Amino acid sequence: MKLFGKRLFRPHSIWIRKLVQWFFFLLIAFIAVNHTLVESGAGIPFLSSASLHALCPFGGVVTIYQFATVGTFVQKIHESSFVLMVIGFALAFLFGPVFCGWVCPLGTVQEWMAKLGKKLFKRRYNHFVPTRLDGVLRYARYLVLAWVVYVTAASGTLIFADYDPYFALFNFWTSEVAVGGLIILGTTLLLSLFVERPWCKYACPYGAVLGLTNLFRIFKIKRAASTCKADGACSILCPMNIPVDTQNTVRDPQCISCLECTSEAVCPVAKTVVFTAGAVK
Amino acid sequence: MTLNSKSLAVILFVVLFGGIALSAALGWWQTESSKVAATYTEGEFAGQANPADIRGSYTFGDVEKNFGIPAALLAQAFNVQTDDPSTFATKELETIHAESALEVGTASVRLFVAFYNGLPFDLSTDIYLPQSAADILHTRTLTPEQLAYLDTHIAPDPAAPAVDSAPITESTPEADSAERLVKGKTTFQEVLDWGVSQSVIEQILGAPMPNPLTTIKDFCTAQGLSFETVKAQLQAEVDKAK
Repeated sequence: MKLFGKRLFRPHSIWIRKLVQWFFFLLIAFIAVNHTLVESGAGIPFLSSASLHALCPFGGVVTIYQFATVGTFVQKIHESSFVLMVIGFALAFLFGPVFCGWVCPLGTVQEWMAKLGKKLFKRRYNHFVPTRLDGVLRYARYLVLAWVVYVTAASGTLIFADYDPYFALFNFWTSEVAVGGLIILGTTLLLSLFVERPWCKYACPYGAVLGLTNLFRIFKIKRAASTCKADGACSILCPMNIPVDTQNTVRDPQCISCLECTSEAVCPVAKTVVFTAGAVK
Repeated sequence: MTLNSKSLAVILFVVLFGGIALSAALGWWQTESSKVAATYTEGEFAGQANPADIRGSYTFGDVEKNFGIPAALLAQAFNVQTDDPSTFATKELETIHAESALEVGTASVRLFVAFYNGLPFDLSTDIYLPQSAADILHTRTLTPEQLAYLDTHIAPDPAAPAVDSAPITESTPEADSAERLVKGKTTFQEVLDWGVSQSVIEQILGAPMPNPLTTIKDFCTAQGLSFETVKAQLQAEVDKAK
């Protein structure tokens, strides 16, 4: 895609994904601003002024316990969070964590920072963390998930909001944001200069939940070993460092279904790495 | 069946926005609380809206809808200067009355509404009203108990001339004690910092203390505890620890 004669996206990238990411980033940003405007008596007509909590599918996940035991939602969580949670799970059962790779604005911002990191460090970018350490750190997001679910169930309040970089990203101008959230957001953005999607890889509790669907999603990333040239391009450019070229079917919980490894993007051989519900030769 | 990125993008939009549209059609898409106060479940007033359920997120307009008290009258009672009192959130009262040594906040609105409408209300804890609210309530029919409570629970108006009340300077013990008031935004960490041990706090809560950064009011609301009761007990411990 070109604009004023200049290429907007790198060749062989999933450009429509970038557009979708931009759309959701702007949508959430406008809604967050509108929420502030409405609270001060103004507001943009025809645009939702819902709080960020009401539009977060992870809010539905953390309130499951209270809903099941008491029949109420955690403070600040509403029915919309539950609806989005169900939609998120439905999409994940079909396509894996497509929410992470296509919708989540925090993931988008990390990718924007990654562009700068790639310019700075070239091929070394996203390969700084030693493989063994990286492998261990990837389990940390499950600990974060367990902690968030526990403290939410125990307190009945959204304690995670005080540490949530996503909430901080769209509320940094309000008094609702906690210092902890801002620090974690700043750290995430800084680390994004060295590692692609550090929050998603090591800490995101929602990604931890959705990632599990990669084990049984209907549509999977599959590699046709018969036509694969084993040039490693898919693995090198995978934002989540998944060794796609060594797997016939990607079941790694870290895959975000971004399709950047497929033959539609980086793989130079047609129909070799595909997103399919069927078999490949 | 193989999907390309464009197909996936279309499906994503259809499922996401289609799901939202469907849930909205079914009445499930709610992005804010209904702002309908819980009702008394027993006794003479069963079925009527209970002022104890007024939340900080309620605007004066929400209070008007639930209890029939005009938003403009509420604004007058609580000295709120605004062109549109119906949009004023009760949680903002704490900011407006921040200078007051005694807290005027959402609990004050609950008390005012209960007295104004002649509804039962727990008077075992100390809740304060500005003089302007008390003046309005004196025009209503109150029981002797309510009148006695009202006359001893008026928060001094910080804007009023000091000649009507004993002057308090920053260096006096009274001023120091005012800084250590358990209010709506007080966290457990602050109470710990004021010298009350975790075990004492947990004894008062009757439950393990949550993350110290949790506000006491949020915790009480979530656990179904009376914030006013917990506040009074914690305040007594804070005063003891001084």
